[in-house]
Amino acid sequence: MTHEPALPQPASAPGVATAEEGLVVLDGPAGVAVTMTAAAAALTGRSLISAAGVAKTQIADRADNDDI
Amino acid sequence: MFTDRFLRDKRGVNLEPDERSRLEAAISEVQTFPPRTTIARAGEPLEQSTLLLEGIMSRYIDDRRGLRQLVAVHVPGDFLDLHAFPLKTLDHDVATMTAATVATISHSELDAIMLEMPQLVRKLWFSTLIDAAIHRAWLFRFGRLDAIGRVAHFLCETNVRLISAGLSDGRRFALELRQTDLAEICGLTNVHVNRVMRHLREERLCVFRSSLVEILDPERLAARGQFDPYYLYIQAPQLEPMTSSSRPSL
Repeated sequence: MTHEPALPQPASAPGVATAEEGLVVLDGPAGVAVTMTAAAAALTGRSLISAAGVAKTQIADRADNDDI
Repeated sequence: MFTDRFLRDKRGVNLEPDERSRLEAAISEVQTFPPRTTIARAGEPLEQSTLLLEGIMSRYIDDRRGLRQLVAVHVPGDFLDLHAFPLKTLDHDVATMTAATVATISHSELDAIMLEMPQLVRKLWFSTLIDAAIHRAWLFRFGRLDAIGRVAHFLCETNVRLISAGLSDGRRFALELRQTDLAEICGLTNVHVNRVMRHLREERLCVFRSSLVEILDPERLAARGQFDPYYLYIQAPQLEPMTSSSRPSL
């Protein structure tokens, strides 16, 4: 019996952040379960938005290169 | 008898009266320790193994900052460092979580049992293999489950282990752990566990209050934690609600 490797895949469902007792609790995506201070959560949020913007640019660049 | 809970209700293994008597005779000492007391440290030579009679104990590894990662939790009836018999030292520390009473059996007694009762040795080996199965389940829990799933899985696992020890009726059991202990076990912050317990309560799955766990819906709680009790090798009628057609597959 053979199996394909079950590699972790990029999560397409977003994580859900909630405020709890002055902290930010992040559940998901996948098995992510972390608690952050408000400051760390805000910085993480900005970093995520920034990286998401760059990732979208990378996808657009790849599409342009495929057209050439 | 001190060994009443050892290998109780396990699938495919049963201690014969003469084997139980031999284990009882091998006990050299019974001691009670206060909560959060380390009783064995990694690397220290060990000449005895420990049978947990009452209370909850843990095995843990500290990181470089001294922060503790629990790698196992033990309930009454567990022979919790039997693997130190062949290994002679442990690669982790062992501590009480609650007040705990333990029986000590020297490795020289275990050597004698090996010569006298090879079938009993096979049963002792069985118990360490269940420990290994529980470790695999913990890896799954940390690798695959979200916060609610981790807590649900741990509570289901503890329930089944305590059914086997005769300390849960399948729906309700005493658990002298604090919420911070649960956080440590599940690798979550206390705030996160607080939120998870609220969710489990609001969803009518489980309530943990005043050191009492009440499982309101065993089947749904097991499904939420992707818990399948098969790996615990326990046979007990109380497991039926967790082994229906909707049992999660691993």
